[in-house]
Amino acid sequence: MSDRKLPRLLQTPAVLLLLVWMLIPLGLTLYFSFIRYVLNNLRRPEWTTPSISNWRGFGNYEFVLNNKDFVLAIQNSLLIVCSILFLTVILGVVIAILINKTFPGQGIVRVLLISPFFVMPAVNAVLWINMILDPVLGLQGIAVGSINDLIGSLREAPVIGAFFSLWPELEPISFRATQTSAYAVIIMVTWQWTPFAVLIFMTSLQSEDQQQKEAAVLDGAGAWSQFRFLTLPHLGRPIAIVVMIQAIFHLSLYAEIEIVSRGNGNKNLPYLIGEFANNNIGAASATGIFAVILANIVAIFLLRMIGKTLME
Amino acid sequence: MGRIVLKNVTKSFGNTQVIPPLDLTIEDGEFTVFVGPSGCGKSTLLRMIAGLEDLTSGYIEIDGDDATQVPPSERGLAMVFQSYALYPHMTVRKNIGFPLRMAKMDQSEIDKKVETAAKSLNLMDYLDRKPADLSGGQRQRVAIGRAIVREPAAFLFDEPLSNLDAALRVGMRLEIGELHERLQTTMIYVTHDQVEAMTMANKIVVLQAGVIEQVGSPLELYHKPRNKFVAGFIGSPKMNLIEGSEAAKHGAQTIGIRPEHIDVSTTDGMWEGKVGVAEHLGSDTFIHVHGVEGCDPMTVRAAGDMSVKNGETVFLTPQSQNIHKFDAEGLRIE
Amino acid sequence: MAIVAKSSKFGKYGRPTLAWIVGLLFFFPIFWMVLTSFKTDADAVKPEHLIWFTPTLENYLNMTENYDYWRFAKNSVITAVMATLFTLFVGIPAAYAMAFNPSRATKDVLMWMLSTKMLPAAAVLYPMTFLTKSVGLFDTKFLIVMVLSLINLPIVIWMLFTYFKEIPKDIIEAGKMDGVNTWGEIKEILIPLAWGGIASTALLCFIFCWNEAYWTVRLTTTDAATLSKLIEGNRAPEGLFFGRLSAVSAAAVGPIVVLGWFCQKQLVQGLTFGAVK
Repeated sequence: MSDRKLPRLLQTPAVLLLLVWMLIPLGLTLYFSFIRYVLNNLRRPEWTTPSISNWRGFGNYEFVLNNKDFVLAIQNSLLIVCSILFLTVILGVVIAILINKTFPGQGIVRVLLISPFFVMPAVNAVLWINMILDPVLGLQGIAVGSINDLIGSLREAPVIGAFFSLWPELEPISFRATQTSAYAVIIMVTWQWTPFAVLIFMTSLQSEDQQQKEAAVLDGAGAWSQFRFLTLPHLGRPIAIVVMIQAIFHLSLYAEIEIVSRGNGNKNLPYLIGEFANNNIGAASATGIFAVILANIVAIFLLRMIGKTLME
Repeated sequence: MGRIVLKNVTKSFGNTQVIPPLDLTIEDGEFTVFVGPSGCGKSTLLRMIAGLEDLTSGYIEIDGDDATQVPPSERGLAMVFQSYALYPHMTVRKNIGFPLRMAKMDQSEIDKKVETAAKSLNLMDYLDRKPADLSGGQRQRVAIGRAIVREPAAFLFDEPLSNLDAALRVGMRLEIGELHERLQTTMIYVTHDQVEAMTMANKIVVLQAGVIEQVGSPLELYHKPRNKFVAGFIGSPKMNLIEGSEAAKHGAQTIGIRPEHIDVSTTDGMWEGKVGVAEHLGSDTFIHVHGVEGCDPMTVRAAGDMSVKNGETVFLTPQSQNIHKFDAEGLRIE
Repeated sequence: MAIVAKSSKFGKYGRPTLAWIVGLLFFFPIFWMVLTSFKTDADAVKPEHLIWFTPTLENYLNMTENYDYWRFAKNSVITAVMATLFTLFVGIPAAYAMAFNPSRATKDVLMWMLSTKMLPAAAVLYPMTFLTKSVGLFDTKFLIVMVLSLINLPIVIWMLFTYFKEIPKDIIEAGKMDGVNTWGEIKEILIPLAWGGIASTALLCFIFCWNEAYWTVRLTTTDAATLSKLIEGNRAPEGLFFGRLSAVSAAAVGPIVVLGWFCQKQLVQGLTFGAVK
């Protein structure tokens, strides 16, 4: 019907914009990934402008694959994303069940809980790495310091002093070291996104069929069986949603890593690309293509799994 | 004016054809009812007339003009939906006046027309309420009001009463009937309820699986059903269809006899059977009789309150002038 | 665990207490940041002034001179508002088309849109820098508005799509019968009916724009730099400026957190893509 063409055409601006947004930079990235292209090179100045005559074939890809940082970055990317997903889902389910039933101040607790979700990632990272996790000046450092002081003073005490002198001095953990900084990122992002999971699971729990639960009680189901056989299956869909949305956001996690790591060994793919991009654009682009491939694998997997439920 | 002609109209969803080629003419001023079991294509047909559904092939004429490609907004038809489809964010006044506002009519003119429509529909006290604050019947009236202010060429009703309770349904049936008497505008009404069809229509179109089984006045359909399907569909309780040797006596594959055309007696008659369930309605008694050859159970309608018990033997005699005969294809034999 | 009998002591006292502890724990970092923002830089790192200190407004009062806060805040507001409006401007018609005039490809188009959101921004960072510098758009608000719009467009279209799908088709069809054209359908029926959904989509989009910290950091230097850039550039690892850093951080997230409090329910509803009722 003629009056259906116009309504359908209304989606073209959005489609075109996204297509341009996706294809042009991606095309350039692909092109750069096959040529020698660096920003500064006194010896070979011709490499500092992108040109087809600097063709390198798969050379950039080989260079990236042989770079030990690359494997580390992939490992880190996966470690960070998977840990965050795992922790937020577990914490989310537990907390959602904990606060689902009405109790005095439930509204306030909800508001307290959701707050981290709205904090901008840059502030999140600055806040955690400096004021909370810093081994000297942060709360961690202060807490470890005061525990050591306490134990130190107990050593002087009569009788029990001998016992406490067996205790070791506590070492604060530095979250800026190569491996620990990944944990810092996991902690701060989990803090930020657990509230999101909690609220989605709570919304879902509220629609749980109460009659079904009552029937289960009459059938002799205990609290655990109810959770295992009724609540958990009911949460299947929301868990899928939480996983998908978080995957979308965390695959391109950047600000937290940038602020926490500051050039030490801990990198994820986006960070590694940023580092290469300081000079070697060819390698940065090749890494970018790898990141796209990784993201596509995850995307296909997730969209297949969840896409259907979303369309219903 | 509202003469609507459908020529060779077909509709397919993907590879399934829901309406094979179909021709139908609806004369100006007629109250036409499309009736049939759910999924028979009656709503699809109505929506194609409205322009809300594309035709796969064929064409539709409204008042002699080809309307096949005309968008719904320009066909000059008004529709009342099963869900009423009122605009929840507008008051009753705004709802009824909406089509006029869309037609860029003067505000004073709109107000006048809305008032007139509201008066005739007893909605004067509710003009400033929102649909959420109205009862089902009132919402239905607003939907009708929104249709009549436009003075359309034809009204289309899509099962408008099925969301109302039984008592209200009877009342609204009468109101819509009176509306038609008053306006004399073409109305097309879709329902699965044959009582609505029989009571309201000038012309009934019986549909099954997208095919028109019969077109005719209510009494034509009742007295002369063209085939077994129409015979069974029109009339309540359903016509008894008898096969086998009884039918062969009349030279037919199947014979049909309506429950109200069977005399029942406890002493003698043509067929003998045992009472299963007897439903006492006060004005009538519906008796379901088991054991009659070729039709089990046979339903009989006895006037008044007839006291029969479960398991009792009764005798049935069909009124011979009211026996319908059908051949092997299920078509009527005159 | 899932259901505790009503009479149990845990259900009556333990659960609420535990819930409060969890809530306070999650809020604590924000509380700590706000608390620290009232300490002088010197007090902020002294264990003896952890809780007892003389509160001062100095950090807030000096925000302009220490960080040029208002310039960044202004950029954040302008880019986030403009990007949100532009996203809705493109997203509402698109979501309308998909929800009420779907074709066989609609589902795939939606999935594709969402998948563009998963593409790692870093992969196209250099080409973006290269392109925007060569056409003179680098470090302009226009560029940031466009980028923020495009990265949020898929999510916005998805959210609007789910809100629009909840509008009964009958009402849109009634509108068609009443003589509205496509534009009228959007203006007279769709927008008023889905107003709540559009508002919460807009809010979420605004929040995401405000918090965005990849492109806003990488594609700006001074003219279009937003609060994310400001914080990222002043991460102060040596702890010399905890007080003032806390103040500027609190000022950066404060408006958004408060905004989020008021509309948390609608935001969550929208973010579930309609898959959780």
